[in-house]
Amino acid sequence: MKRALLIAGFVAYSASLYAQAPAAVASRTKVHVTTLASDQLEGRLSGSVGEQRASAYIVSELQRIGAKPLPGQAGYTVPFEFTAGSKDGGSWVRLGGRLTQRFDQRAEVQALSFSDNVDLGDTPVVFAGYGIVVPDSQGFAYDSYATLDVKDKVVVVLRYFPEEAETKTKAILARYADLRYKAMAARQHGAKAILVVAGPNSPNAGEIIPMTFDTALAGSGIAAASISSRVADAMFGALGDPAKTLKAAQAALDDANPHATGFAMPDVTVTLHTDVIREKRTGHNVIGYLPATLRSSLPKPWVGIGAHYDHLGHGESGSSLAEKADMGKVHHGADDNASGTAAVLAVGERLAAQPRARHILLQFWSGEELGLIGSTAYVNAPAVPLDQMAAYVNFDMVGRMVDNKLSVQATGSSPVWARLIEQANIAAGFDLQIQQDPYQPTDVASFNQASVPCINFFTGTHVDYHKPSDTADKVNYEDLDRVVDFAAAIVKRVGDAPEPPQFTKVDQKTDTAGRAGVRLFTGTIPDYSTEVKGLLLSGVIGGGPAEQAGLAKGDIIIEIAGQTIANIYDYTYALEVLKIGQPAKVIYLRGTERKETSLTPAARK
Amino acid sequence: MRSLHVAAAVACLAVAQLGAAALQQAAPALQERDFLSRTRRITVEGRRSGEGYYSADGKRMVFQSERDPANPWYQIFTLDLTSGDVKKISPGIGKTTCAFFRPNSDEVLFSSTHLDPKSKQYQDEELAFRASGKQRRYSWDYDPEMDIFVLNEKTGALKQLTTAKGYDAESAYSPDGQWIVFTSMRDAYSRPLNPTEKNALEKDPSLFADIYIMKADGTGQRRLTTELGYDGGPFFTQDSQRIVWRHFDESGLLADIWTMTLDGKDMRQVTTFGSMSWSPYQHPSGEYFIFSSNKLGFENFELFIVDTAGTKEPVRITYTDGFDSLPVFSPDGTQLSWTSTRGGGQEGQIFLAQWNHQKAMEALKNAPLRIVNTR
Repeated sequence: MKRALLIAGFVAYSASLYAQAPAAVASRTKVHVTTLASDQLEGRLSGSVGEQRASAYIVSELQRIGAKPLPGQAGYTVPFEFTAGSKDGGSWVRLGGRLTQRFDQRAEVQALSFSDNVDLGDTPVVFAGYGIVVPDSQGFAYDSYATLDVKDKVVVVLRYFPEEAETKTKAILARYADLRYKAMAARQHGAKAILVVAGPNSPNAGEIIPMTFDTALAGSGIAAASISSRVADAMFGALGDPAKTLKAAQAALDDANPHATGFAMPDVTVTLHTDVIREKRTGHNVIGYLPATLRSSLPKPWVGIGAHYDHLGHGESGSSLAEKADMGKVHHGADDNASGTAAVLAVGERLAAQPRARHILLQFWSGEELGLIGSTAYVNAPAVPLDQMAAYVNFDMVGRMVDNKLSVQATGSSPVWARLIEQANIAAGFDLQIQQDPYQPTDVASFNQASVPCINFFTGTHVDYHKPSDTADKVNYEDLDRVVDFAAAIVKRVGDAPEPPQFTKVDQKTDTAGRAGVRLFTGTIPDYSTEVKGLLLSGVIGGGPAEQAGLAKGDIIIEIAGQTIANIYDYTYALEVLKIGQPAKVIYLRGTERKETSLTPAARK
Repeated sequence: MRSLHVAAAVACLAVAQLGAAALQQAAPALQERDFLSRTRRITVEGRRSGEGYYSADGKRMVFQSERDPANPWYQIFTLDLTSGDVKKISPGIGKTTCAFFRPNSDEVLFSSTHLDPKSKQYQDEELAFRASGKQRRYSWDYDPEMDIFVLNEKTGALKQLTTAKGYDAESAYSPDGQWIVFTSMRDAYSRPLNPTEKNALEKDPSLFADIYIMKADGTGQRRLTTELGYDGGPFFTQDSQRIVWRHFDESGLLADIWTMTLDGKDMRQVTTFGSMSWSPYQHPSGEYFIFSSNKLGFENFELFIVDTAGTKEPVRITYTDGFDSLPVFSPDGTQLSWTSTRGGGQEGQIFLAQWNHQKAMEALKNAPLRIVNTR
């Protein structure tokens, strides 16, 4: 599972209480997991030797169960290119007009990771405030570009969002303050480049934005760079107007008054060179299929089942949660996601022995841990047209069932799922947790985006999540095999149904544009797998603000700074409007006790 | 609908929690998993489902669910507990509730408003309202047009058993299949009401609810309770000799479990639990009742068991926040099925678990004697 969700924290106790009668045929899930999670596979990092070894095992298993390469393909592996890291290769900016000044130090100017590489000659400049455009659909008028003509110009914008606005306004603006979102808005208004400066009233004031990990293969269609306050001050200074310093300009905007606007900077021009070096690597999806055995021509004749098989290698990608002493060790990823890979192979093996009215795709993704790269690459260039797929069924972390609880996610993607799940569960008997939301941090999201009815199976997180200690001996194989039985029954029904499931588009609860709104650091680790009213903590980061505030694993945050927290979305919004360095009152439940503390957020770089 | 509309009156929280401390003190370190294992959710489709009752052979269940796209309210469905097949058996028009299989027959009873000429119109209005995206707080309106019907699943014949104006529902067959016990509010519509009563009826018709009995063919309808306050949710005991039900006080906030004979005599109070205790159902062994109570928090209904004679204090069974109620045992006594919000959200779904009868008997044995105070 991708770590956009960071989680952990259940005490696992024996689930053998819930064991069913043993399956008639011995399942190979244990062999699959043990092999994939072994030291030799080195944590299966995308593009690594470990990934190659894992894919070779999967290919041999596909051959054993009789799955074929896709029509027209010689083999089972499908390569895709991705960016494994990026750095600035020497960006610089030169100010022209009334002054001539060149900046080329990384402390003064640095490209943003998604920037195009461009050379831009002497270009007029417009200050566009915070550079935020709230879509009309939100019913809240705020458009930094409303009165500005930025076509073919360079825009200078402030990082983040108006600092002094009232809480509700901030919460809305924060959602559209992501750097990528600002860059998109600038591009849509015809700007040639966007330069971002953190204003003096903002966190990280005046500082350059660090190059973040970005897996994009290319730029986003506009030159984008971060500039220091020194560069910005030089530009504003050239205006010779004491009312138009950077500080004054930010102050005028900070109450989010919609009438305060940006302005052209007539005496300044910018010459800009941006250079982002992206380190390219090649990952491999593995895909085979079981051809239909029944001569029928059903509409949408394909059903996909899949799981990501990549993991974190030795933890080099940055989403490792290893303790200090374990850093750099093999991250075995037995539950995440050797378990799901094993489930796909086991369901495939089951279906291979039965008559099939539709073709069954067996799909194994790489690059999931880096941001769903493998499945995204697939849906962008699908081997089977996506509108020919009746459904897609995903498994991500299905090896640690506790207390008979199984989460089935993304069920809102089609009205058929509830019925199919209900029916199959009469025999399977899980304590189901149904989540309709298809915007999950796993490959099911790629298929939902492509309008394919889809579901994901998930048995919850645990203390070994994204740590080297996620090992094969901790997997609950009896219950993993029950998940296999359950999923196989559902896939069989979908595969044999004359009518394919209908796709339902579910509205996204939050706008993904808002992620960068979280610019402060609280050191909480939310537990996303357990539904409670409030925000359940699966842990706190050592030395972080939450730990300093006395919060601990198992606490449920129910209010922050006067805002009620009912779920993770409320929490995210609440964080957006906190102030760095300013204590906020936190009310939380510890057991049945209601407690109160004060948490002082730190800046997230 | 054996359920009730819980008005969120904060004032009664204190009342409901009277004696909670004593209860916690007395309770040994028991947990849900001492009594329930392999808990599973058996309904998924639709906004909500509830009130699942087993057939006499334990192979099927009849339940109510809001899952018919053409009807916004509960309709009645049967569920095959082997194949998972679900079939709608109610007319699809109006509201339905409270189904029950007649033992040793092809008959199923349930309550329905489909004969009300206005029910189609109400239904369309409700569908339009929901399509508009608006929501209202869940409430049960005790539709006075609700009558009891019996369906023959073989022939498809639907026979009306009650005709009186006023809500007729919450009905169950005796284990021998000869009798039906039910709840009716007909008293409020069958005689002239004084102004106080009229006012009460407008506010909450359930105040007029009483327990009635009739033969399985609908003849011989007889009133068994007369006290003011919601008497409802009746079932027969396993030996068909007594009726167990819940009686509310006039405030509608406190309820306890009672039993009586089939002619309405020998009324005995089984609980004095100082809370809203309702939906009693007897274990096939005849040893104890299971019921639901908000003893531990006004909107937190948990399941409890109490010995049939009510000599002991109830023993807590579920330990999961939210709504746990409407419990029933499978005919062989090895499973418990109930309606719960434990799957997430506000809406109930039907759950099922293996029942540990041994442990239940043991816990009842260890339970303290009931503290009897005046009601």
